[in-house]
Amino acid sequence: MAMIEFKNVDKYYGKYHALTDINLQVQQGEVVVVIGPSGSGKSTLIRTINGLEEIESGQLIVNGMDLADKKADLNELRKNVGMVFQHFNLYANKTVIENIMLAPRLVLKRDEAENKKIALRLLDTVGLAEKADAYPKQLSGGQKQRVAIARSLAMKPKVLLFDEPTSALDPEMIDDVLNVMKSIAKQGDMTLVVVTHEMGFAREVADRVIFFDQGQVVEDDPAEEFFKQPKEERARQFLSKIITHK
Amino acid sequence: MALLEQAYSFVNMRFLFEGLAVTLEVSVISIIFSFIFGLIFGVIRYIEVPYFSAVVGFIIDIIRNLPLLLIIFFTYFAIPELGIRMTPMSASIVALVVFESMMLAEVVRSGIQAVDSGQMEGARANGLTYFQAMRYIILPQALTKMIPPLVSQFISLIKDTSLATIIVLPELLYHAQIVYSQNTTYMLPMYVMIALMYFVVCYILSLAARYLERRLG
Ligand SMILES: Nc1ncnc2c1ncn2[C@@H]1O[C@H](COP(=O)(O)OP(=O)(O)OP(=O)(O)O)[C@@H](O)[C@H]1O
Ligand SMILES: [Mg+2]
Repeated sequence: MAMIEFKNVDKYYGKYHALTDINLQVQQGEVVVVIGPSGSGKSTLIRTINGLEEIESGQLIVNGMDLADKKADLNELRKNVGMVFQHFNLYANKTVIENIMLAPRLVLKRDEAENKKIALRLLDTVGLAEKADAYPKQLSGGQKQRVAIARSLAMKPKVLLFDEPTSALDPEMIDDVLNVMKSIAKQGDMTLVVVTHEMGFAREVADRVIFFDQGQVVEDDPAEEFFKQPKEERARQFLSKIITHK
Repeated sequence: MALLEQAYSFVNMRFLFEGLAVTLEVSVISIIFSFIFGLIFGVIRYIEVPYFSAVVGFIIDIIRNLPLLLIIFFTYFAIPELGIRMTPMSASIVALVVFESMMLAEVVRSGIQAVDSGQMEGARANGLTYFQAMRYIILPQALTKMIPPLVSQFISLIKDTSLATIIVLPELLYHAQIVYSQNTTYMLPMYVMIALMYFVVCYILSLAARYLERRLG
């Protein structure tokens, strides 16, 4: 069974039709990159996967749970589905290490010593061991984003969602974050859905690329095929635009 | 000079300090309760429970737009008509808590609203329940932001205790009046002294707030 499955999903903001008849499957361990113009609904799409946005019709099954069901236990879902945001959303009133340890403590009831050990190890893997006791406002954007990734990983999620994780960063910070993401992708056990326009990242680790426009999946290809030549004209134009911009 | 010495005699000063003690007692109790209720009502206003929050909002608006003196009269003279006995002390506390908690509810609501909405999203996406996110992330940040308006509301409350003179609560202003009613030449010295007392208490509170804000901010 697929880890994430959209079946005829529609989503409205009031009268605005934000997602139109989405059909999509993501298998366990797959790395899927979503690209598309601004306002096309990429954030909306990815935010439905952890229930931050409700859907109006269709079925959306994530880790075996149907999110169209109003009684779906979103807290349970989010134990298994992490998310990394464009603007980090670190807890401003907590130190770095507390940012990482809070949810495992409260939600997973993880033993305190164990929790700390895991948090420190994660901080080390994102290269920020010395920042454990800093507050978020004392970090650069790239450092914040790496802490945010560590915070998500501490929950040991099966699925990790990224919504433009590098687009609020200064150029020289982007690689640090992408390298962390690449190493997660290469471990291969986690399912990743990544909204990004970093095509270097997509080429290196994506299994599939989805081109999204006007609330619809316009193209859904294996990454290799996509980069050789997108089938759709709109996707081709978009791809050439973001590549020449780099 | 002789006048001042007589006005500020040991006995008179002791009497004023007894009044100050009552003022502080009523203030502290009222601050504690109005803070608790203000927090509860402010959160209810913020989370917008259908119907319920609207009703609460309506009540808050009514009370905020009534004169505090009217509320004091109401609790002291009208509630006993319903068979509940009220001393000046309990009537003052009830009136102050009712009024100030409604003022504080608005402070609390706008404080919560001022917290970046990304904080709640980050917390929920991280697996925290709504309640946990409020308790550990949103409210602590909101409270830090709220310190200045909260404290200025607390200072108003302390000053407003003097309204309870009118229902013969033996607080600071009332005691000053008793002293100068025996000798009207004491009127000016008494006013100066109690002004100083109110000032010192309120000023210490605002210094404490500034210190707290710097430590938490
Ligand atoms: N909460 C909301 N209420 C109303 N409309 C919304 C809301 N969120 C998004 N929209 C609208 O839905 C559309 C899709 O928004 P979305 O944020 O998903 O796009 P996006 O592809 O992520 O864009 P970007 O690349 O700029 O982040 C936009 O037209 C946006 O204005
Ligand atoms: Mg977006």
